[in-house]
Amino acid sequence: MLNRRIDEIKSAFLKEADNSQDEKSLYDTKVKYVGRNGELTQILKNLKNLSPEERKQIGPLANEARQEIEKAYDARKKELGEQIDWEKEKIDVTLPGKKAEIGSLHPITIVYREIEKIFSSMGFEIVEGPELETDWYNFTALNFPLDHPARDMQDTFWVKSEKEKHVLRTHTSPVQVRYMEKHKPPFRIIVPGRVFRNEATDAAHEHTLHQFEALVVGDDINVGHFKYIASQFFSAFFGKKVGIRLRPSFFPFTEPSFEFDISCTVCGGKKCPSCKNSGWLEIGGAGMVNQNVLVAAGIPETAIRVLPGDSELSALL
Amino acid sequence: MKYSYTWLKELSKTKKSPKQLADLLTMRSFEFEGLKTEGKETQMEFSILPNRGHDALSHIGMAREICALEGRKFTPTFNVGSALAVPRSDLGVNIEIKDKKLCLRYVGAVIKNIKISPSPKWMQTRLLVSGVKPINNIVDITNYVMLETGQPMHSFDLEKIKGEISNKSKTSNSKIKIIIRRAKKNEKIILLDDKEYMLSENDLVIADSEKVLALAGVMGGSDSAISNKTASIVLESANFNATSIRKTRTSQNIITESSHRFEREIDPNLAETAMARAIELTKEICGKNIEAASIMDIYPKKVKPWQVKLDTNYVNRLLGENIPIAKMKNILENLGLKSLRHSVSKWIFFEIPTHRIDLKTQEDLIEEIGRIYGYENIKEQAPCAEVKALPRNEKRDFENKLRDILIGFGFSEVMNYSFYGKEDIEKCGLRVEDHIEVANPLSSEQQYLRETFSPGILKNVNLNLKNFSDIKIFEIGREFGKKGNTPYEESVLAGGLVSNSAKENSILALKGELESILNKLGLRNIKFEAQDTDFGFWHPSRISRIIINGEKIGKIGEINPLISKKYGIKQRVAYFGLGTEELLRLLPKETLYHSISKFPIVERDLSMFIEKDTKYADIVANVKKTGGSLVKNIDLFDVFEKEGEKSLALRLKIGSDAKTLTSEEIDAVMEKIISSLEKELKVKVRK
Repeated sequence: MLNRRIDEIKSAFLKEADNSQDEKSLYDTKVKYVGRNGELTQILKNLKNLSPEERKQIGPLANEARQEIEKAYDARKKELGEQIDWEKEKIDVTLPGKKAEIGSLHPITIVYREIEKIFSSMGFEIVEGPELETDWYNFTALNFPLDHPARDMQDTFWVKSEKEKHVLRTHTSPVQVRYMEKHKPPFRIIVPGRVFRNEATDAAHEHTLHQFEALVVGDDINVGHFKYIASQFFSAFFGKKVGIRLRPSFFPFTEPSFEFDISCTVCGGKKCPSCKNSGWLEIGGAGMVNQNVLVAAGIPETAIRVLPGDSELSALL
Repeated sequence: MKYSYTWLKELSKTKKSPKQLADLLTMRSFEFEGLKTEGKETQMEFSILPNRGHDALSHIGMAREICALEGRKFTPTFNVGSALAVPRSDLGVNIEIKDKKLCLRYVGAVIKNIKISPSPKWMQTRLLVSGVKPINNIVDITNYVMLETGQPMHSFDLEKIKGEISNKSKTSNSKIKIIIRRAKKNEKIILLDDKEYMLSENDLVIADSEKVLALAGVMGGSDSAISNKTASIVLESANFNATSIRKTRTSQNIITESSHRFEREIDPNLAETAMARAIELTKEICGKNIEAASIMDIYPKKVKPWQVKLDTNYVNRLLGENIPIAKMKNILENLGLKSLRHSVSKWIFFEIPTHRIDLKTQEDLIEEIGRIYGYENIKEQAPCAEVKALPRNEKRDFENKLRDILIGFGFSEVMNYSFYGKEDIEKCGLRVEDHIEVANPLSSEQQYLRETFSPGILKNVNLNLKNFSDIKIFEIGREFGKKGNTPYEESVLAGGLVSNSAKENSILALKGELESILNKLGLRNIKFEAQDTDFGFWHPSRISRIIINGEKIGKIGEINPLISKKYGIKQRVAYFGLGTEELLRLLPKETLYHSISKFPIVERDLSMFIEKDTKYADIVANVKKTGGSLVKNIDLFDVFEKEGEKSLALRLKIGSDAKTLTSEEIDAVMEKIISSLEKELKVKVRK
């Protein structure tokens, strides 16, 4: 009889303890069974009134039950103590995140990287040169006659120096000569860099410009190759098929020389305000390197064709 | 140049509309600039390439071009190039060229019995549509001939030219004298624009025996100008050295239709053609009584046509096309070139007309063939190229890596101009003599090449403080300086930081970032040494050299607050600058992998009082020296100064890579460290 009751008490407690959701109700449950007036406590208190045989049988059973209840109580209490109040935890996840520092690249750097990536993929080496150039590399070696207007104070920044005459380079082309002096053809290079023009800055003019130019030197390089390479580059740069148009031009360091246009990247050549209704955008100058430049750079005249094309970065921004 | 469409049409006999001509010329010759129509007249403006000023700055030149583009030869409608209709004689005029390098030819004609009046309507219309204002019949004829042939002309009033002072006679029959010479220093002349010009020995002038009559090739003088009373004139058709004219017009700051043509170099043979045409027109429109009295032509060195040898295979190799030889010949002959010898071989010799000064090499001829054949007819073709691994541009790659690391640390990139002015040099406490000076700056703010990025960075900081309280910026570019008298440039990385939270300690905030950036590059042996000279824009007691592997590669510190203030910045600005090429050189060639120690590492704190001038770096060096490899790390976790006492608190990480240290061993190391600090640096360790 009694031993069954003890089992019942035990399982009732375990069930109720499991159901209690806070420490107080758990405690109340414990008090109900094993508190001073608890049912199991009463059984234990009444042991002395039992026959020795019953006492022997019920005693250990009741004690065991009590220990089990205490143990279960502790375990459940710990469980309840570790429980998280999700309601209290609530955070408005639409609040702004803590601000992290981010830096950014200059747009010119971003464009240069794009250009260099495309040309690298086509096997062009990236070459740089000084911004402060000698008169020889900036003009003479590039076939500018001594009295060429570009050498005027109006167009070029000269610096005061006692020895050799120095200018702030007016184009990236001096690097052509510097490179050709040291390397044997064939080669393909692009030259990115800062150049300077003695022009007052306004909406349409800048005294400091960022340019790049490409130079291909090989045995049989021709105008058709220029059109191909330019079209490959600009199509990759703008992410769509771009057409190339050449018009006659004049530069001392190329012969023949051309201006080159690309089909309007806004309207695709259908004519729009961006291309002043021409379907084309003026993008840069190009040509086949003048023989005099090759000679100045120490490259033998025999069967070498060269092709530079330059473009100003602001046109691509 | 502005052209009259009807004039071009008359000369070239083209059937094309202005629009068609504009399109054709743009693609084959010159860029079309614009079109204006007034009544029956249409003005077409083209921008003539600098190497075509010789021939194309004229209606005849342009008509010749149009004919060539249409596949025809140009035939002039009047007697251009024929011998002068006036008997050549020096009767009445004596011409002397003093400087034969600057004046290559001078044709002068005396014309008498002229009646000055307005020129005929048709001539005025053509002048107007070409952008030239009609004045009177004589002046208009000279301008008309220039627009037609490209040869600038001038006319003097014969009466105003003083003859040779001769003792024999002062009669009206005395010969007039025209001298072409360099001006004397400070010689003056009032030109047709009624302004007085002070001349120099570089300026070429036309003079009589007494005074300057005209600034050669640029503008005539007002004294000898044609007036309503003029009855006899001297017509000038001359050829002047292009460079000389350009120098004069730049130094005197006048551009005229005449100087514009002369500075592009003109064929001296044209002088005769133009004179013949001018006399023809004078006879036609200046009255029946006119008398071309005499003409004199001084032409010391006659220019003759030259030859260029063309390799016809080379033409197609350079253009990447397959143009038949007959087509090449046809193109060049339509431009007025003569083919001379043409055997079965690939070579053709061409004789170049003297008005095509630009055609000197076979590449010049190839350009003519290419553009007239049409560049759009040249097909795109992929070049055959060797497959090879490209040499890397290590410097550029490295600078890009630096940029990526820097933006990862929250720095933004700026790009400033390479110039600044004396004001910046003074504000920043720099020395003018360290700077390369621009000989012809745009303004005083752009007179010197930057020797440091600091003025630019300070301006960026000031601008950005209007919108942000914390600033981290950097720039990679070139700085310029002088080694002795030799200019040099170097690639530099510089950065600036303003921190609202770090405030006074902004230098330490920036230093921390820089150390991490350098660590990220694989650099470990980084030292900072206080610097005690040459402060410039630096805060004198907050400046340190950056030393990597024992090499000084730059500086970090705070900008002198008095200087920041001059740039309108109240906050403290930390700044660093270092050479990127030096940095690249110091990068470790390989990175080694180290595993984390398997044995436990314990932390021990060490608090101490130190003397006022003892540096943290000395303490660390001492601890490392004594502790050796057992000291794995040292961190500063507290520092304060109170009543002249300076206190530091360090946290040491102690451990061994070989075993677990016993507490006795750790205590022994700490004992050694403490006693060394106490003995060598007079540190009082708090126990």
